[in-house]
Amino acid sequence: MSSVNASGAAPKAPTEVARQLPHGFRIVAWIGIVLGIVGAWLCLPPITERSWVWSLVVCLVAVMLGIGVVIRGERRFGGFAIASGAIGFAVAYLATLSSTGKLETVVVWSALFAATLRYATPLIFAAIGGMFSERSGVVNIGLEGMMLMGAFFAVLADDKTDSWIIGLAVGILSGGVAALVYAFFAIHLRADQILGGTAINFLCLGLTGYLYIDIYGTEGTASNTIQAIPDIHLSFLDGVPFLGPIFAQVNLMIWLALLLVVVSSIVMFRTPIGLRIRSVGEHPRAADTVGINVYAIRYSAVTLSGMLAAAGGAYLSIGFVNSFGENMTAGRGFIALAALIFGNWRPYGAAAACLLFGFSSALANRLPEYSDSASVLFQALPYVLTLIAVAGVIGRSTPPAADGRPYKKQ
Amino acid sequence: MPDSQTVLEMRHITKRFPGIVANDDVSIDLREGEVHALLGENGAGKSTLMNVLYGLYRPDEGEILIKGTDVELGSPRAAIDRGVGMVHQHFMLIPVMTVAENIVLAVEPTHRKVMLDERAAERGVREISERFGLVVDPHAKIEDITVGQQQRVEILKALYRGADILVLDEPTAVLTPQEAQELFAIIRSLTAQGKSVIFITHKLNEVLEIADRITVLRRGKMVETLEAKGATEAGLARLMVGRDVLLQVDKKAAQPGERLLVVEGLEAFDDRGIAKVRGVSFDVRAGEIVGIAGIDGNGQTELIDALCGLRAVAGGSVRLEGRDLTHASALEHYHAGLGHIPEDRQRRGLVLEFTIAENIALHDYRSPPDSRLGWLFPRRLVERASRLVKEFDVRGGGPQTRSGGLSGGNQQKLVLAREIDRNPRVLIAAQPTRGLDVGAIEFVHRRLVEERDEGRGILLVSLELEEVRSLADRILVLYEGEIVGELDPSASEEQLGILMTGGGRGHEAAA
Amino acid sequence: MSEDTKGPGAFAEPPEDPSGFGPHVGASLAERYSVAQKAEGILAPILTAVLAFLVGGLVVLVTTGKNPLTTYQAIFDGSGLNWLFPWVSGVERQTAALNFQQTLLIMTPLILTALAVSFAFRCGMFNIGGQGQYLVGSFFAVWIGSSLSGLNPYVHVIFAIVVAMIAGAVWAGIAGFLKATVGAHEVISTIMLNWVAIWVGMFLFGLGGPLQNGAQSDIPISNDVVPGAKLHVFWGDPEFQGLSIGIFIALAALVVYWVILNRTTLGYGVKAVGFNPEAARYGGISVSRNYFLAMAISGTFAGLAGALDILGWQFHIATSDIGASQIGFVGIAVALLGRNTAVGVGLSALLFAALVNGTSTRNLDPSIFQPELASNLTLLIQGLVVLFVGADVIVLTLLRRIRRRKPAPV
Repeated sequence: MSSVNASGAAPKAPTEVARQLPHGFRIVAWIGIVLGIVGAWLCLPPITERSWVWSLVVCLVAVMLGIGVVIRGERRFGGFAIASGAIGFAVAYLATLSSTGKLETVVVWSALFAATLRYATPLIFAAIGGMFSERSGVVNIGLEGMMLMGAFFAVLADDKTDSWIIGLAVGILSGGVAALVYAFFAIHLRADQILGGTAINFLCLGLTGYLYIDIYGTEGTASNTIQAIPDIHLSFLDGVPFLGPIFAQVNLMIWLALLLVVVSSIVMFRTPIGLRIRSVGEHPRAADTVGINVYAIRYSAVTLSGMLAAAGGAYLSIGFVNSFGENMTAGRGFIALAALIFGNWRPYGAAAACLLFGFSSALANRLPEYSDSASVLFQALPYVLTLIAVAGVIGRSTPPAADGRPYKKQ
Repeated sequence: MPDSQTVLEMRHITKRFPGIVANDDVSIDLREGEVHALLGENGAGKSTLMNVLYGLYRPDEGEILIKGTDVELGSPRAAIDRGVGMVHQHFMLIPVMTVAENIVLAVEPTHRKVMLDERAAERGVREISERFGLVVDPHAKIEDITVGQQQRVEILKALYRGADILVLDEPTAVLTPQEAQELFAIIRSLTAQGKSVIFITHKLNEVLEIADRITVLRRGKMVETLEAKGATEAGLARLMVGRDVLLQVDKKAAQPGERLLVVEGLEAFDDRGIAKVRGVSFDVRAGEIVGIAGIDGNGQTELIDALCGLRAVAGGSVRLEGRDLTHASALEHYHAGLGHIPEDRQRRGLVLEFTIAENIALHDYRSPPDSRLGWLFPRRLVERASRLVKEFDVRGGGPQTRSGGLSGGNQQKLVLAREIDRNPRVLIAAQPTRGLDVGAIEFVHRRLVEERDEGRGILLVSLELEEVRSLADRILVLYEGEIVGELDPSASEEQLGILMTGGGRGHEAAA
Repeated sequence: MSEDTKGPGAFAEPPEDPSGFGPHVGASLAERYSVAQKAEGILAPILTAVLAFLVGGLVVLVTTGKNPLTTYQAIFDGSGLNWLFPWVSGVERQTAALNFQQTLLIMTPLILTALAVSFAFRCGMFNIGGQGQYLVGSFFAVWIGSSLSGLNPYVHVIFAIVVAMIAGAVWAGIAGFLKATVGAHEVISTIMLNWVAIWVGMFLFGLGGPLQNGAQSDIPISNDVVPGAKLHVFWGDPEFQGLSIGIFIALAALVVYWVILNRTTLGYGVKAVGFNPEAARYGGISVSRNYFLAMAISGTFAGLAGALDILGWQFHIATSDIGASQIGFVGIAVALLGRNTAVGVGLSALLFAALVNGTSTRNLDPSIFQPELASNLTLLIQGLVVLFVGADVIVLTLLRRIRRRKPAPV
């Protein structure tokens, strides 16, 4: 709640700092971010420098660039640059402490990136879905539950019909239904959205678990009867050294996810419907007074968010692991929400955050080759990163102004 | 005039809300090219009537005719389609979007219906802007432009959608006098081009300056429609209020004593980092009421916040009876003998879910006799509250009643009771009679004068000039964060107006 | 000095909190649910529970075709509540006694995790982090309880409990601190902290982890709590999870909760901030301090729950326990159903404990209803409770209609 209020703008033109910072500062910040990554990379395969001195130099430059940019007002990306430099050096230092052999087993870049894409995809679907909902002004904490619905019903439908297309379609629909229920409570009944979202999570968890045990009992789903979402084979990339292992054989959903990011960005910022959605999320009364149907837009946005989250869940079950387990989403819906915040409610930013989180999951999965217990701690990384983001340490993110406030038409 | 076309007629409009009849059989008509003022006090029903016209409300009875045709205005869209445009008092603009985006919202020009055509939008905005002489930058974000410019965007929004009838709801409330003059010029130019304007206001001087005809509303009923030519402020005031308005509160001359509150060179910023208080110096003596007059937005809120410890002081000092309170916390201020009646009793003055007794204890619950070493004694709270409820004639419940159940006037009495009972040396009253009915206003005014006579120092900050003139013993005028003059309450409204609008300091009202 | 917030232009007030889960329309969380509290008294929670069970029964009927009444009866028997009826005797009474002990054993931590939610609610915050705070408390409890053997039992138990409470307070305090300083929304930060706690636990007690069992190096489990640190069992068999005195501690906590809120200056401040932070600030109360304190005290309750479970009947933690524990989440439903009052939470905790126990694999007759299904049914009912409380308007409208039919004066 805002308890410190200003009264009115200045009578004359504002004398405040211009909001549009020179583009140059952001470019400098990006250089800092890249330098931090380079600093880490120096001590990792294939270069595998054994001394951390060069990394220190490079990362120091990154940090200084970041600080310089932050002072000039570009807090957000400057903060990223500082973080990149600091973390980059930490990684480099840790790398020099372990043996080259171990490093080479764990850090296989192509495998890591391929895995990153796989882990990030469900997150991307859910995060973009969440973006639509929140941009229209409705907080959707229930993404986790909707994702789970998609995961379960996709498996169920796929199993019964032996078709991944029907499985995917049913999964998406189930998420839409759950979202519709949530939308009814949040928009029509103006229920508290956090409570409503939490309730949806419980309900979806309970419902999917219930039906799963009812139908499949304790033996679980047999993966041989489930048709997986196919990969797309790009034969022209087959022999290519680095890109080949990553992009030659990639699941359809992963390509769809990347496409989704591009499309949603265009829709949100370059089309009339996107403008209207954003207006509803920023100032619903203003939108109402020009004749925009606030309720209709919010209902659509929330339902879409459920469908997209469910698509992500469907990928998880019939695209990735080819089965269903109770509560298999394991908090991914919340990570997607965090990615959305991290990315400042923009598609590319959210996708970047999803890739980052996907990368940390991918790394966590390779780490058991290195040290069992360390890999477990690594699993906590996405959550810690989110905590930092939420603390606004890396610059404040600005949500849609009317986010979370139910709208009452008079 | 019978030769002018009648573009709008609202006949026998009645609109009821639970517990109140906001519009009671109101009829009004508008001629082409006319500026028709809708005059009335707060709560008279002006905004409701216009919201009916704009399709935000459905009238319970009555009909609306636009250019002779009976219309059903079920939504703003319908009203817009019929050529009605409204500029609300609280802007319906989206701060993070650009001027062009705000103007074309919901009627966007597109490439093949799919993509937004930004160039066409910009072109359209520039064209309308030039045609009506309203200069704006289509690419500027709303949050970056001045309030006067924002209002122009609102007008352009209506014009872009083809409005022939423009309703302006209290448009000058947010403008400096210079911007208000610019607005009047715009209005005249619009009517010259055939547009018709309804101008809602409660300010008498504006009405006489800009309107052709005036309709006065009082308590939901239409009182009279008259020509502006020949009308007088006093006459209009009588129509608005229904009786001769007493502008003076009955009080003796002040007998000021020692200096209680000494403010020197005070500086403070608002939330966006703009300097709002720029070197304010004054003092408040025992036994006097100092009034601070000024137009909304000149730093009043920041000044009060800084004086009370609710906002960081960037420079200067605040001393209460010699004690330096410049950087003290709000609580320390209260303990040092400062009382504060906040301008928003529901959001800042009271915790509505608390009982009357709990609200009375808001500043002192941490000390004996209300509590000791952290342990609370609810019975003591109730005892004190019973006494105060009687003394201040707070009606609507007893000490254990939830404060939210009281009427506005009684809530304000509650706040007064709490502050005054603590025996403050200096009492700061911010908009103390906002939203109150006449009886409550009289009570508050009388009480403030009584406290002044008890030897307290009272700082009254109000946007209602009449209130300041009738209560204060000295008037300080606040303009753009500085005290630009000190006047006797007997000073004319003109003199005050000049200071309040920045004149008299060598400033010319630049074009 | 304008009527609305930011001044003459009066745009929708942007939330201060960087994650976007901003203020709710009009009333604060505490305000909104307080009206429900006072206006309808005990009827609202009862009606909510009835509705939730009704819908749950419908699910049972529709999906399995079984009679929901017999199912609920079986759950009732499994919970041991029938022990309260004096006409039950003989073997039936003995089984009921055992079941009832179990129920009360579950009720113990449930009261506390619910209080963790309720106390934060009273300060206007939604503490979803009870699970993480509970876990952290249990980690410390098991660590201290299994070390320092030979210590005086009273000292040992009290020490372990106090440390667990502090641990819970710190864990919640992180979220409270973030809210107090940068305005980070506690929903996101507590959810993240939940997951961090889980993974930290997996690390601590997993294979090779620092607190893993010294004797059995191939099982991811902690050391056992030494006999000297176990809570005294006063009803039932200590070897078979008899009821420990923890229940009294939990009931005492209910009293403490009431006392703090209604008889201390701390409680006054917490309630003031919860109902209207702005007025509290204008009144001289420190809003950020109260946010922090309220979260910390909430965490204390949850940490205590962890300690009582460990020292009362669990005596060790396995990594599988960490993943499976849901007690913090059930606490959310309990708190909401009990409308955040001491009496309400107590009764609501009994109800949910009975539900959880009655549906467990041990106590539910599988011929009547499959226990795994039933535990998911519990989740559904939890979700429904949260949903109905969130959309309080449903229950309130129903109550008003019921009231209008009766001629009795209100």
